[in-house]
Amino acid sequence: MDRDAVVQAMRAALGAAVGEPRTLPVDDLFVSVELTALRAAVELLQNEFDIWHLSTVTGLDDGEQLLLHYHFWQGSGLTLSVSLPYERAEAPTLSDLIEVAGFYEREVAEMLGVTFVGNADLRPLLLPDDWDEGPPLRRHVDGQGGQ
Amino acid sequence: MMDRMTIPIGPQHPLLKEPMAFTVTVEGERVLEAAMRLGYVHRGIEKLAESRTYVQLVHVVERICGICSHVHTTTFCDAVESLMGLEVPPRAYYIRALLCEMERIHSHLLWLGVLAKNVGFDTVFMYSWRDREIVLDIMEELSGGRVSHAVNILGGVRIDLDAAQVQRILERFDALERQVERALEVVEQERTLRARTQGVGILTPDEVRRYCVVGPTARASGVDVDMRRDAPRPPYDELDVNVILHDAGDVWARTVVRAHETRESLRLARILLANLPEGPTSARARRRVPAGEAVARSEAPRGEVFYYVRSDGSDTPARLKVRTPTLTTLATLPRQLEGVALADVPVVLAGVDLCIACADR
Repeated sequence: MDRDAVVQAMRAALGAAVGEPRTLPVDDLFVSVELTALRAAVELLQNEFDIWHLSTVTGLDDGEQLLLHYHFWQGSGLTLSVSLPYERAEAPTLSDLIEVAGFYEREVAEMLGVTFVGNADLRPLLLPDDWDEGPPLRRHVDGQGGQ
Repeated sequence: MMDRMTIPIGPQHPLLKEPMAFTVTVEGERVLEAAMRLGYVHRGIEKLAESRTYVQLVHVVERICGICSHVHTTTFCDAVESLMGLEVPPRAYYIRALLCEMERIHSHLLWLGVLAKNVGFDTVFMYSWRDREIVLDIMEELSGGRVSHAVNILGGVRIDLDAAQVQRILERFDALERQVERALEVVEQERTLRARTQGVGILTPDEVRRYCVVGPTARASGVDVDMRRDAPRPPYDELDVNVILHDAGDVWARTVVRAHETRESLRLARILLANLPEGPTSARARRRVPAGEAVARSEAPRGEVFYYVRSDGSDTPARLKVRTPTLTTLATLPRQLEGVALADVPVVLAGVDLCIACADR
């Protein structure tokens, strides 16, 4: 994949919603994208550049906000990163664009407490049905039963 | 119209040795829909990673999988070493790749046995598991462990091979190759195996793309991906990996692809052994990792394995994310099971080569 061309096309179509790209080891390019432009950016990757492989979605709590990394790959890595404020932990689903995304979103939903709007199946994937100690990957949850 | 029935399969069941629950709705003998529930071997490794040092984590991630343990540590070390900017000696890369290829051989032979057992072909099961012992013995001699090898350390590997060991391994590869050729013959020609696996559990190339399926399952549907060739990490950039493809997309195609891949891995392992570079086997790694993020991918026996490491500059990661190849194939299972005969459910489940421990983490 010609990552420079992809970033250029994203910036042309979405303007200021696309941030400055960062090159990461081993072979990845991180591009921050505003939440409102996420779906448009993914559709652009699919339709203009035929990038169809989503490796996974990483959700993390960096202490100030929640981050979602959508790791795409087509010969080399390209990650779209969006940030969510704690008080509005909601993102649009990608499950209608990429079938497997719905599956990854289930994991992020239970582990980080993010709601994916439009994903009809957000049942727990890995945690027990009666888990009530809060999303384990949030900073304030210690994973030992306390919060 | 026949009665509809819902049959729970699992979490403990005779189809797989690992816990996983399926709910299969059937009408007569046909499966109408299937649902699944994961998490019975979820160990919270991503959360645990936040409270363990990088040095400890090499051994923790090794325990994500009981089959492809080595490729997990290889990918994890790759991510962390690249964050450190550490130069790993070429000999270490070769030894890592040698173990990766041997792991692929034993994983594929193990899988062939499980499939054969599920279709009621116990002879193949016993032969392939016997032959798998050849590789396990070699790995045990090299590392001390049959499944968890603890070969990787940050900066390289902790084992080395001398010329006599290389010679002994090559001799045993000859015996293994004869057995693999035989298995290949059975897989391609045996009518009973074909009768049970052809036309079952079909995935079209379009479905492979929509579900982002990886590894042999994708290649058996004609999707040409292999991380060893497409995103090579040393020493794969020096190797010419033959990527095995098939266009049928059914369980039989997956069997043929994996059988050929076993032979290909044997060829690659021989090349690695013959060209082992001289020099040290590890570089000294610092305990603390500079702040930053890294993404590493490798080709595990079941396909692309993905690691994301985020460091805050301390000796423990701020976030470790692992995506194992089984998770992608699992997502396709409800779709694959629709419309198959109930008796073919075990064949479909075995066909995608599930590793539940990997998927649950």
